[in-house]
Parts: sequence; C-alpha cells; structure tokens
Amino acid sequence: MNVTWTLPDGSTKTAMVAEGTNLMEAAVANNIPNVVGECGGCLSCATCHIIVDPDWAAKVGDVGDFEDAMLDATEAERGDSSRLSCQITMSLDLDGIKLIVPVPE
Amino acid sequence: MTIWTPTDDGHADLTDHDTFTNGAPHNTFARLRRDDPMHWTEWDGGKGFWSVTRHADILELNRQSDLLSSAQGIRIEDQSQEEYMARRTFQETDPPEHMSTRVKVAKAFSKQVISGFEDDIRSLCVDILDSALQAGTFDATKMIARELPMRMLGRILGTPEEDLPWLVDKGDALMANTDPDFTDHVMDKLETDEYRLMPFNSPAGAELYKYADTLMERKAAAGDTSGILHMIRQPGPDGKCINEREFKNFFCLLVAAGNDTTRYSLAAGMHALCHQPELLGQIKEGSVLDTAPDEIIRWASPASYFRRTATRDFDMHGNTIKAGDKVAYWFISGNRDETAFDDPFRVDLARTPNKHLSFGQGGPHVCLGMWLARLEVRILFQELAKRIKSIEPAGEAKFLRSNFVSGIKNLPVTVQLT
Repeated sequence: MNVTWTLPDGSTKTAMVAEGTNLMEAAVANNIPNVVGECGGCLSCATCHIIVDPDWAAKVGDVGDFEDAMLDATEAERGDSSRLSCQITMSLDLDGIKLIVPVPE
Repeated sequence: MTIWTPTDDGHADLTDHDTFTNGAPHNTFARLRRDDPMHWTEWDGGKGFWSVTRHADILELNRQSDLLSSAQGIRIEDQSQEEYMARRTFQETDPPEHMSTRVKVAKAFSKQVISGFEDDIRSLCVDILDSALQAGTFDATKMIARELPMRMLGRILGTPEEDLPWLVDKGDALMANTDPDFTDHVMDKLETDEYRLMPFNSPAGAELYKYADTLMERKAAAGDTSGILHMIRQPGPDGKCINEREFKNFFCLLVAAGNDTTRYSLAAGMHALCHQPELLGQIKEGSVLDTAPDEIIRWASPASYFRRTATRDFDMHGNTIKAGDKVAYWFISGNRDETAFDDPFRVDLARTPNKHLSFGQGGPHVCLGMWLARLEVRILFQELAKRIKSIEPAGEAKFLRSNFVSGIKNLPVTVQLT
C-alpha cells in the first residue's frame, strides 16, 4: 500500500506503508520533514500534523475530541482537513492516500 | 577536551542520592546498557525496582502506557493510595484521563504560542547577562541559569516579580528534596511522614498550596481570567474538571518542574562551554543555533528518570516483569547510549538528528514545556556568546544530591567580555 506526501518544497514522495502502521510512524520512517511525533503517537504533542488531501478526507474517519483539541496546538495553521497523523492507521481503504505536509508561517 | 569524566566504579547504588553528588554514575549506566539492560535493584527504602537504561528500550516501553502506568507514582519511592491521590498531578495519570487535563493547556505551551515569547525572553536574557557578566567571576548557575526560567515562570503564572525568589526557593525545596542545600527536610535523612500527603513529602508544598489560594483569590478579585492557571480549571473536551487538590498540585508542579529543568540545562551548557572551548565560537558563528538547544538539553538530561508500574506480567531481556513491579526509565542513560548517539560523551552542537530523551519523548507525558525550554536555551546562549570572548571554570562544579534531578547547583566561572 502506498502513501504520497507533498513536501514543503512542492515535491512529492511516495512510500510503501504496511497495513496497521500509523501515518506518523510512516512519515518518520521515511524522513518526511516537519512530521516529528515527539510523543510517539500518544496524542500529547501535535508535532505530527498533516493535511489530508480533500479527496481522501472522508476516508480517514472522524477527528476525536482530544485530537480536535490538540489540533489547536499545531505549529502550522490548522486547515479543514488537518489531522494528527498518529491517529490515522493504514488500511486497504487508504491505499494511495495523498497527504500534504503543512508549512509553518 | 573532556567536559567531565564519570568517577563511579561501574557498580554504583542508583538509590543512593550521594552517588549523584559527583555527577551521574555513567560508568554504571554503560555497564547496565551493555550487560544488564533490564536491571533489578533491591532497595532498603521500599520495594525493589527495574531499571531500563537503553535508548531503544525506553522508547519501546514509554509509549505503552497501558502496560506501564504512571498512575501509581512516578518516582522510585512507594506511595500508598492515599498519598497518591493527595499528591497526584496529571503527570501521575494515564490516557485518557491524562489527555483530559493536558489538552486544556496544550495550546498555551505549543510551539506557535511559545514563539511569541521570544522578545520577552531576549529582554530578560539581556538584563540577566548584563548584570551577571560584569562580575567577571561568579556562580553561573545562581546568577544566570536560575534567573531566566524563574522570571519566565513569573510571566506565565502572572505572579508579582517580588514573589519570584520565594516561589523558586519553594520549588527547589520540592524538587531537590534530597539535597540539604535546598531543604531542611531531606527526604531520605529525616522523618518526613508528617508531610506525606504534600507534594514531594515537603512542608514547602503546604506553603505553595497557601500561596496558590491567595494568588487565585487576588486574580478573581481583579477579574483576571487569563493565563494557564485559569485554563487548567476549565472543563476538558470530556466535560471533566480537575478538583481543588489537583489544581494546587498542578501549581506546585509548574513552580517546581518549570524551573529547575531549564536551569540545569543552561548550567550544563555553560559547563560544556568551559571545557569544550570550540563551542563558544560555533554559537557566535550562528550556524548551530537551531540544533544547539536539543544537544545542550541532551547533554544536561535534567530529569534523570521517571518511574512507571507494570499493569501485567511481561518478559524483556530474559526477565519477567510482574504486574505491580516498578520500572524506572533512565533517560539520562538513554541520552548517552552509544548505539543511539555517535560519541555521546561529546557535545556536538550540530548533532542531527538528535533523538534525545530529556523531554520523555516517545510517550504521553512528553514535557509540556519543551518548546519554552528550547527557546530559553537558544536565546540565552545566543546572547551570552555575543557578550563574551571566553568562559572558564573558576572552581569546582558541584552537582545536586539527587538521583531524580541531575544538575550542577554551583558553577563558578570566569568570563572575559568581548
């Protein structure tokens, strides 16, 4: 299964990601800039902020209450399809998903 | 040149606070990482405990808060349920309860909001340095490292300037409750049972409780609903509020943890500058400013360990850890792990990546104040480097008597101004 990130410089990077891996871990494993995951995916730091391509937004599920609160603590501005990537787990439905790495002002 | 060489014999007693008065026992940690990575310590002072010393193992376990809980205490000392409930903060809770409290203040401590303090911090640094450096020879922990986080804390809490030295003395009495320089109630020497329901078994906890009451009454009378002390008392996304006792413990936590960790990072950084003279030039030149804070904070490792408690049996490195066993993550050891860092006993201000564990990275309790700490460290060293040609030791650096907080409490230095 593939994930494609649009990087801050406008280029894209595609990587194979195994089912069950969360998308923060996938980004860190692939050295995607600006996706850090300081808390290891425990919803405590907001450093794995990602913008889901609007075409994929419906497929990644809803934002939980705590995630919603933490999304107010991201470094780059929150957008309509902003998510904490540690809260999205790779599945067959998400094969080919496109993500945009947010750029802080 | 070496900044500092550990002197322990490789078999130091990790429960003995005196062990740490010569600096952390890194020969012991190196041996444990190599030969005994899940190490059992029998202890006269309470139940024995496991020590996790490898970087990879700490990361592996730290994120598993369902297996290793914070909700039975986070220091090696045992707590009764009554003591735990009386003294706990959100540091001593697990998800999702932990999140319920944390999200209320997460934005206030976010990188974006904290970066708004840059000008404030710079102006404090300029004040502090201009006053300290003119002495030529002085205690850099007392005159510089202690001052900056203390004054920033005042801005964050909204406390009057004149109260700050008192607050920081009380915070020290809590955090450094095993060092006679900071408290008359040395925890492992005197009977502190009278204060067992107070934060850190300390009478300073009672004084800080009283101060918090007065401060909040004053704020209420003035109609002041700004700041984190207000935010933390609001309902979370799940509608839950913390109780009065938890609020006061949170206040104590801010006063204590918001102070000494950054202080000891700044002190360790200045100590490193004394013994690795090339560092000052690198900071002056400016190219390492983005990476230097994390390296200085790795080097300092102010929080030596945090403890968890196993919720069920599990096996690791040939040992069975039983439900109820205490497990200490020695971040200070993980930060010197040869398999995670090239030349870990050398300060490399350009180190990238720098996967240090000083903030408890990789778990739900990752330091709330990490962006503030990084910013304070960056600006202090930037402003310091502008003002001095050299910094040298002017006497022996003295380490705190504590296995919990690692820090240089006295750092005599001589500087030459530019």
